[in-house]
Amino acid sequence: MSVSAGLRTRLDRGRDVDGATLLLLACFVPLFAFFAVVWLVPILYALGMSLFESPVRNPAFVGVGNYVELLATASFWSFLWNSVTYAFWTTALSLVVGLGLALVVNQQIRGGSALRTMMIFPYLLPTLVVIFIWKFILDANIGILNQYLVAWGLVDQPIAFFSTIKWAMPAVVVASVWKFGSFSFFILLARLQAIDTDLYERARVEGATTWQAFRDITFPHLRGAILIILLVRGIWMFNKFDIIYLSTRGGPLQETTTLPIRVYQLAFNEVNFGLATAMAGIMFFLLAGVAVVYFRAFSPESEVAN
Amino acid sequence: MATVDERREDDGRRQRVERRSGRLSHRTQRRLKCVALYLTALLVSVFTVVPVYIMVVIALQTPEATFAGGRVNLLPTELSLRNFSVLLAETDTVRYFVNSLVVTSSSTLLSTTIAVAAGYGLTRFEFRGKSVAARAVLFSYMFSPIVLAIPLYVIFYALGLLNSYFALTLALTAISAPFCIWLMWQYFQTVPLALEESAWVRGAGRWRTVRDVVLPVARPGYISAAIFAFAVAWNDFTMARVVMSQDEMYTITVGASLFLDRVTIGWGETMAVSLLISIPPFCIALFLQRYLLQGFSVGGLE
Repeated sequence: MSVSAGLRTRLDRGRDVDGATLLLLACFVPLFAFFAVVWLVPILYALGMSLFESPVRNPAFVGVGNYVELLATASFWSFLWNSVTYAFWTTALSLVVGLGLALVVNQQIRGGSALRTMMIFPYLLPTLVVIFIWKFILDANIGILNQYLVAWGLVDQPIAFFSTIKWAMPAVVVASVWKFGSFSFFILLARLQAIDTDLYERARVEGATTWQAFRDITFPHLRGAILIILLVRGIWMFNKFDIIYLSTRGGPLQETTTLPIRVYQLAFNEVNFGLATAMAGIMFFLLAGVAVVYFRAFSPESEVAN
Repeated sequence: MATVDERREDDGRRQRVERRSGRLSHRTQRRLKCVALYLTALLVSVFTVVPVYIMVVIALQTPEATFAGGRVNLLPTELSLRNFSVLLAETDTVRYFVNSLVVTSSSTLLSTTIAVAAGYGLTRFEFRGKSVAARAVLFSYMFSPIVLAIPLYVIFYALGLLNSYFALTLALTAISAPFCIWLMWQYFQTVPLALEESAWVRGAGRWRTVRDVVLPVARPGYISAAIFAFAVAWNDFTMARVVMSQDEMYTITVGASLFLDRVTIGWGETMAVSLLISIPPFCIALFLQRYLLQGFSVGGLE
């Protein structure tokens, strides 16, 4: 067979070899070409750039100098802390909201399927639209929330949520949870619906309370899904750029500046591609670290690898 | 199905258990639970639906009506398309929309094609290092777009490709392809090998088998991959913001994001453009919900 020794097809019948070779090429050439062009080359290129000072014009090799410079500044650690805070709260709250609602919809309540359809709305709206809506709701002058807060006497003055130090992060988190809460909801609901209802019936007959049934039946079935949500959603929120950029640009006073926001600022506002790619490099290594945990814990690739 | 006798026996046992424990009676418990359930459902529906409602109402009534009396009025007295006509007259919304359509559809096509080919190849050909390939695909799925956007920007800049449909299509495909490949890879495993083998035995060549047997069977798979790729590209802000720096090349998300800084554009027009941007995803949800949920169940969408 003319196909390389390492590649053997399950469909091989020892004939139509040219067709097999062509098919093999047609399957893998686009994949490898594409991965090389948009993943491998850019990542290696970025890692290379991160070793230079002003790498675009008059590059000067500084080795790990950019990394050392970043890790030595206090602001880097505060940006990292902002990223972790944002990722933690958005993930935790999405999980709580998603779990609560999945448990509700899983009960046979009237309008449950309508509720399920509604849950997909925030998820479908593009991020920009989500931010427009929340900027309007939370606006200091005409915002509907402030209108009620003032009318009910809860605050003396309207709050500019996205631009006060105390409220900027919570406001971004609320907008994010509004959009991404349904992610947890749909995954958890799918798991809940796979649980055999006989288990609950038996528990009820044995006199178990709702809480006991949840602890001993529901939760064990959901544990895997919850871990995946915490890990994957956490990674995605840590990496999130658009929501924060569109709502606060990282302000006020860098209160919501996360690592992705800072990478963008370094590259396009300060035109410092050396530091920007070094910070991107740090994010890359952090992700790789978490990915190792993810693959160890779940070996998700075993689903397709055999 | 339990027989009547068994059920009666069950009821009797339950009542005995209730009498023994000094808790609230089962009926009260059930009622409390019911109230709590509906209350939660109500709260969440309000939280979910009210923001969407606000967008629609403000888009469809005049700013004068919205802000009449110095407060926001969310019960529309009369509907008007005035916001849309201002949008079309004062901004390049149409051009941005067309740009978005061009890059979204080309990226959807490219991403789905690569995913179908790769998914089929990875399922039907054996080779060492397959689990490494799986990890690589999943790893790139979790990657931050902004981390990829920086080197892509520098490379496109060096090649003179910034501000081109081609560059943005590639960049968008980079973020949608990993999940599409994963989806197709899983999907092709549900297609029985025997189906292809029987076509083989009847003398069909490999290519004909793929065209006439494999592709039709894989249709639900590549429709959900295409939906995902479409959603990623249509929703994208990051890549378009970085790759397109000329006003006439902006996609709708980047173009509209600048509206709030402009004096002539108010909340009415902003919500009108929001409604326009939301229409394509909503149409997808309406007509292809089945496939959308299938995508969710395979591995979760971003």
